[in-house]
Amino acid sequence: MSLRTISGRHVRLITVHWARSAVRSGAGLVFLVVALLFGLVAAQVILEPIELTMAKEAREGRDTSREDIVASVVEFGKPVIRWALGLESAGDAAPPDEADQAAAAGAAPDVEQAGPPQTAAPADPWAAFLLDERPALLSAIFLVQIFGMPLLVPFLAFNQISGDVQSRGLRYVLLRTERANIFLGRFLGTAVFSTLVVVFIVVTVTFYLGVRIKIYPAGSLAVWGLHGLAALVVLLLPYIAVCSWISTVVDSPFLSLVVANLVIGGLLLFAVIAGTLWEPAIYLKYALPWGLQNHLLHPELSHSVGTALACLGYTAAFLFLGYRRFETRDL
Amino acid sequence: MNDRKRPGGLTALAVINFVLAGLGVISVLGLVAFFALVGEIPTEGMDETQRAQIEAMENLGTPMLVALVVLTGVTTILLLASGVGYLKMRRFLGRTLGNVYGLTAIASSVVTGTMFPRELGGGFGLGALIGLIYPLLTLILINTTFKEDLVD
Repeated sequence: MSLRTISGRHVRLITVHWARSAVRSGAGLVFLVVALLFGLVAAQVILEPIELTMAKEAREGRDTSREDIVASVVEFGKPVIRWALGLESAGDAAPPDEADQAAAAGAAPDVEQAGPPQTAAPADPWAAFLLDERPALLSAIFLVQIFGMPLLVPFLAFNQISGDVQSRGLRYVLLRTERANIFLGRFLGTAVFSTLVVVFIVVTVTFYLGVRIKIYPAGSLAVWGLHGLAALVVLLLPYIAVCSWISTVVDSPFLSLVVANLVIGGLLLFAVIAGTLWEPAIYLKYALPWGLQNHLLHPELSHSVGTALACLGYTAAFLFLGYRRFETRDL
Repeated sequence: MNDRKRPGGLTALAVINFVLAGLGVISVLGLVAFFALVGEIPTEGMDETQRAQIEAMENLGTPMLVALVVLTGVTTILLLASGVGYLKMRRFLGRTLGNVYGLTAIASSVVTGTMFPRELGGGFGLGALIGLIYPLLTLILINTTFKEDLVD
């Protein structure tokens, strides 16, 4: 087993081929349709009440100021933020750490204001950052995406290796290249495809917010949109890597899909349920990035970057486990 | 004998077509039932949004309701037929009818967007964009990715 067998040219070739043929396989198409529908429907559910309110007030001839609309948006966004961050109420103070105290003291003078200061801002600095200092609607949409997108990854990434192992087709590919190139190339191809899908969703939603809703400055939308996009792209990598690992262990594509779903979704469910019976069990969710992925939208940029690095660490760990298995198994 | 191997994506496209066709059948039945009961639907106990939607439907007028039923029925039939075409990998049944479905669904979205009130999904909002995803995807895929597969 040696990483010296990795060839950049081969990896690039396999990556491009795998990304381009993702839709041709059923898995890529299903992921594309489901991810687009999830991403846009989630955004619509959050945006529609605001749009209906604005349309109703326009019809009734009431001239609502942008500040009033933003205030109502913040009120609307509070339950979503509360649920996503696990706060009892948006006014709850999470156990403050140094980072949160620094954010609460307004220690970031270069944070762009997305709207006017609110008179009744939530006490929690994280919620205040997401609702007041950043476009609240976009924050709510990103938090929903960060929760939901990992659950869709198995539909894309379950069949990186297992299908070819089952059909014994991999041995013909191995005449031309090494196992490491195949494993890495297919992982990267899957990551590229998922990135393209996420880019489309985020650009569409951000553009729609800017052009149709028109309550946030374009600059703040662009900045926060880019941050959310980067967060989502980095977040999906460890989940794709887990699916890569599972795909090297399980020979059947269908079983690989089932196991991947059980591992990714089941782990979170098990941790939450077991945590109600025995509190330390809640920490099981840290076996995957479930426990820290919301921190990708933390007020402190260093905290977000640290979380992103942690996600890359998870990715490297799962890739290593998958590569080790694939390199040594009988095909 | 056709011994070409059907790509997984084409099978997935056919399955999605059948699912959407099933939903289309339910929509047509629902619209016909609404058409029969227009003006007699009790709105007590409904929230403001639902009441507004019922009122908007009742104010739509018979010609628009008929047009809606016809459009939904036509797209449902096209979904079903093209789905069969994808499975059999036929040029007319798959590619031609798939293109007709895509264009019809897009036209239907444009008509809905321009002529329907906001309560019924009118206007060119995110909902309209969601309705355009699958027809656009169909048009792109059957004319590029699966172009060489849908031949007689």
